[in-house]
Amino acid sequence: MKKIDYRDKGSILNPLKNLQFFARKPITEKLEPRPASASYRGFHINDMDLCIGCSSCQKICDNAAITMVEVPSIKEDAAKGIRNLRPAIDYGRCCWCALCVDICPTSAIEMTREYVHTCDGDDTDSYFVFPSENGIHDLKFAKGWTKTEDSDLLDRIRRPMGEMKPEARINNFDEVVDGFTMEMAVEEASRCVDCGLCEDACPAHMHAPNYIRSIYEGNLEQAVEWMYETNPFSHVCGRVCTHICEDACSLGRVDENGVKNSQPIAIRWLKRFAMDNVSKATIKHIAQKGKTHIKSGKSVAVIGAGPAGLTAAFDLAKKGHRVTVYEALPKAGGMTRYGIPNYRLPEDRLDQDIEVITSVGVKINYNVRVGTDISMQQIHQENDAVILAIGLHNGRSTRISGSDNKAVVKAVDLLRMIPQGDKFIAPKSAVVIGGGNVAMDIARSMARLQMKQHNKVNVVVSALEALGNSFLADDEEVSESLEEGITILDSRGPKQCVISKGRLTGLETVNVLSIFDNKGRFSPKYDNSDLQYHPAEMVIEAIGQSADITLLGKDLIEELDWDRGRIKINDNGSTSVEWLWSAGDMVKGPDVINAVADGHRVANDIDSYLTR
Amino acid sequence: MSLESLNEILNKINTIKITHKHKRRIRVDVKADSLTTLLELIKGQASFLHLSAITCVDWIEDNQFELVYHVWSYEENCLISAHTRIDRDDAKFVTVYDLYKPADFFERDIYEMYGVFFIGSPRMEKFILTEWFGMPPMRKDFDSEAYVQETFNWTEYNPDWLQELSDQGGGIAIKPEDIRLSGTLHNKATHREREKAKKEHVVGKGWKS
Amino acid sequence: MRPENYQAVPLGDSNEYEIFIGPNHPGIEGNYALKLILDGDTVVKGTTDAGYLHRGFEKLMEGRLWIQNLAIVPRICVPDPAPMEVSYSLAVEEIMGIDAPIRAQWIRVLQLELSRIAAHLFTFGGHAATTGMYTPMYWGVADRDLVLDLFEDFTGGRVYSIYNIPGGVRRELPEGFLEKLSHLLDYLESRQNDYDNLLFTNQIFVQRAKGVGVLSKEDALEYGVTGPNLRACGLAFDVRRDDPYLIYDQLEFDIPTQQKGDAWSRILVRRDELFQSIHILRQVIAKLPSIKGPIRTAIPNPLSWNVPAGEAYARVESSKGELAYYVVSDGGDKPYRVHVRGPSSMHAVQTLEFLAKGARIEDVAQIMFSLDACPPEVDR
Repeated sequence: MKKIDYRDKGSILNPLKNLQFFARKPITEKLEPRPASASYRGFHINDMDLCIGCSSCQKICDNAAITMVEVPSIKEDAAKGIRNLRPAIDYGRCCWCALCVDICPTSAIEMTREYVHTCDGDDTDSYFVFPSENGIHDLKFAKGWTKTEDSDLLDRIRRPMGEMKPEARINNFDEVVDGFTMEMAVEEASRCVDCGLCEDACPAHMHAPNYIRSIYEGNLEQAVEWMYETNPFSHVCGRVCTHICEDACSLGRVDENGVKNSQPIAIRWLKRFAMDNVSKATIKHIAQKGKTHIKSGKSVAVIGAGPAGLTAAFDLAKKGHRVTVYEALPKAGGMTRYGIPNYRLPEDRLDQDIEVITSVGVKINYNVRVGTDISMQQIHQENDAVILAIGLHNGRSTRISGSDNKAVVKAVDLLRMIPQGDKFIAPKSAVVIGGGNVAMDIARSMARLQMKQHNKVNVVVSALEALGNSFLADDEEVSESLEEGITILDSRGPKQCVISKGRLTGLETVNVLSIFDNKGRFSPKYDNSDLQYHPAEMVIEAIGQSADITLLGKDLIEELDWDRGRIKINDNGSTSVEWLWSAGDMVKGPDVINAVADGHRVANDIDSYLTR
Repeated sequence: MSLESLNEILNKINTIKITHKHKRRIRVDVKADSLTTLLELIKGQASFLHLSAITCVDWIEDNQFELVYHVWSYEENCLISAHTRIDRDDAKFVTVYDLYKPADFFERDIYEMYGVFFIGSPRMEKFILTEWFGMPPMRKDFDSEAYVQETFNWTEYNPDWLQELSDQGGGIAIKPEDIRLSGTLHNKATHREREKAKKEHVVGKGWKS
Repeated sequence: MRPENYQAVPLGDSNEYEIFIGPNHPGIEGNYALKLILDGDTVVKGTTDAGYLHRGFEKLMEGRLWIQNLAIVPRICVPDPAPMEVSYSLAVEEIMGIDAPIRAQWIRVLQLELSRIAAHLFTFGGHAATTGMYTPMYWGVADRDLVLDLFEDFTGGRVYSIYNIPGGVRRELPEGFLEKLSHLLDYLESRQNDYDNLLFTNQIFVQRAKGVGVLSKEDALEYGVTGPNLRACGLAFDVRRDDPYLIYDQLEFDIPTQQKGDAWSRILVRRDELFQSIHILRQVIAKLPSIKGPIRTAIPNPLSWNVPAGEAYARVESSKGELAYYVVSDGGDKPYRVHVRGPSSMHAVQTLEFLAKGARIEDVAQIMFSLDACPPEVDR
């Protein structure tokens, strides 16, 4: 570099040297739209199919430039987490920082390489833009700023949930998962973008965004308050919920262009964490909130102390009605107690949920079997309304040859025996027919008993579905089963139970060609040439359950309207008989959170019926 | 100057609390009445000639203003941040203009933005907000967002695409001002909230219409 | 003050009269005004009138999430926005107790030095324009545009990069960027002769600038002057060397100084600094490819990101001088307080008033521009 000294005077002629520029070729820039550089933050484009309407872009926008607009032509699908909201951008406020691009969970919103937008006179409406895939002027500019792995702002990966090693858990019924620590829970909760897709997807519309926020703020009591607004079975759901919310979570989306690995918030585990870390007394206190002290003078009977019945009872008791619950078994909880093994849901947690429910004034009569110990007519006469919520406790049979043997049993019957403490000798070898969560429950319970009693696991699960996307049981159930030494044979259909001299010796299965016919009806096709034989002392059928409706009595069965074997109900759970409502698994299929939602629905309807 | 001798000078103030944040940052906390003495000391005996800034922080919950004097030494290459707190209701303090000329700017700025009066400061008068007569706006109890909402209108837009969506039964669902609230996130996108909002205003209308 | 609200003050029987220059004076970056009391052509007293660019950024930042402020900070100084981003990010990182990865620190240096070059080119033009020479301004702005092209390439924005984020930078440099940068530096060096001929060895300009706005070293220290303005008075102080941040302590560069403290010294210091920046960038080009690794330390989901309670004073050397962000967190999701210590807040008010006194009216604009005062740093 040439030095210039302070004392240099310069010359009057020096600037004239630049007259040489007149001899140079002038540089001419054409005045036409030119694309900007490859990562330019130009105008927005939004892929309408990728966009789920989570409104994260609106929240991160530092200039309040984004309005969420409802687009009726887009079909909403709460279970898949798709809303019909899409962002519109006010370019009078936008500062082109592209934070909306970097936070978008699905990489739907991006920016183009387009530089210029202007308008004539007062036509400022053109500054309020509803971006589509084509860009502001339909000019199809190439993409500019898009999300990269580096620029992605979200925390995509779940805090890992610790669990017992397979060898430590296989000979007992202790709970498998460890649960979060406070630190992990706060971190996990901090990942939430508060889109609320989970709340929309949840059948009970649990206020998940709110309680996640409360956990993030360290206020577990408030979190539990949010939970009790919609779910008195929060302990249960914190452990065994089918977590439809997590399937809808905006962080669970993966896209091949931007972020390749993204995991939904562990909403269920967060719920479990908050419930476990608030004392029973406090929870009882929270559950009392909103309870009226005015007695309505009306009384309601609930048949079946499962999640649906007890949720309805909880709501109705808080509204001042006298509620009596009739339970055939010695303890409450229904399928959550007699169907779900302890290693997934420890009984003391369930006991606590039930204790909280009874603490608001719900009376449960145990060991009273309606139809035997007390008749339906009597209950009807003593009450203003009756809720039937007896669940699905009859196992279905495959009806294959040999299935009438006494060594061929139903999963639900077995599962019911285990927590009742019956002296039960596990068979040395067992085959489970079925591929759903119940099949996994019984297989894993059986494996534990075998390990305890015989020190060796020999359980085979034979499922129609192929492992992978269409498999019915949860992925974690499958992987944990495999870890525990259970063999899963997928795409196998049961052919016959092999009986020799009246004794069961095993099960024959064949390969599945297809499960549904071309109209989508269940009609499995088998390849009979591919036959396998699985020796077993016991065959367990876990292919579905039905309700035991004999308690209704002949007259009532005739009086009621039916819909394909289930009691016909309207949207509010009311049956064709004025005083009778039905809720839970027996009308909605097996799922705790659906049962809870159903309980609320029925309770609301009964309350308005009683107070009209 | 060694660290020891610097500490020695600082420790001449009885009530001082010294925190060495890192090699070139020292935080000291002093009582308000010893702040000037401290600055005199470090300027006179430890070559801290450069007043980098004076910051005021409004700790409204403590009912205090915190004044932070950032002073740099060109010889020691070290920055001392001297923190002191004064009563928020009696927001007065002595000027350090006699020691540091740049205090004129910072004190005037703090006077205007926080209303802290610096006794003896040469220009306790309006500066940036010559036409503002409200509360000193940097105070935490001045809600600038509310002021903006009261004072200015949101732009009204009614482009064709919005009209079309409105005709189909859609339109504006969540306005930015509904959700932002100074960055506090309030979920407005769930069905629950949207149903509530629908009852309050007719979806599909423009802004403040 | 709004011009329509200005009322000339009658000055009685003396020969003095008051004039108001601004707020759109062509020699001033941004809107700023001066009230001058003149006796003939000589300034008796100058009073600055700030506030035309007051947008309440410090207040705004208290109401925005930590990450949302990234889009605000560069706006505080339009000609040289990069130091604002870096300084804010450094302060937040210090409170959080994290460091940007080494590669990100090198990229930040690259951005800072490019920004410095752009700012100095702007200032050459502006300073020349205050003496009535407009060609350097066209050149300066045109060449700055080439720098902005590179900003567009790697940050996605021409002026407001919004490229830094606490924890690092937002994206990797695009492919072939360093070659482009190298070409640009070659070009800028090739332009040295042109600029020297036109401006720095132009007798007209040299004579206009020499002896104008003389600031002694003592006065400079007293008025809190920093940056090139201080170095033009003979004190070789540079935050990059004396209070090093990022990886500046691994770089080799000179700190140009002059002794006389006048407008001519100041622009000479800037001229030399521009070439020091080129020198630094050449080192970055040589070193950066060998520095592998991430460009960001992960921060939490920005929608629920609480920075732990604490405070930090992060200083950087901007093209104008010592820039500092004092950031206070109370543990919340937004800053509790952000104080921007812009170097021009020292230069544009007290120093300018001090230098204006006794100056001739035609030099006032030049004095202001030779101080490279950036009014938005005063107003914020």
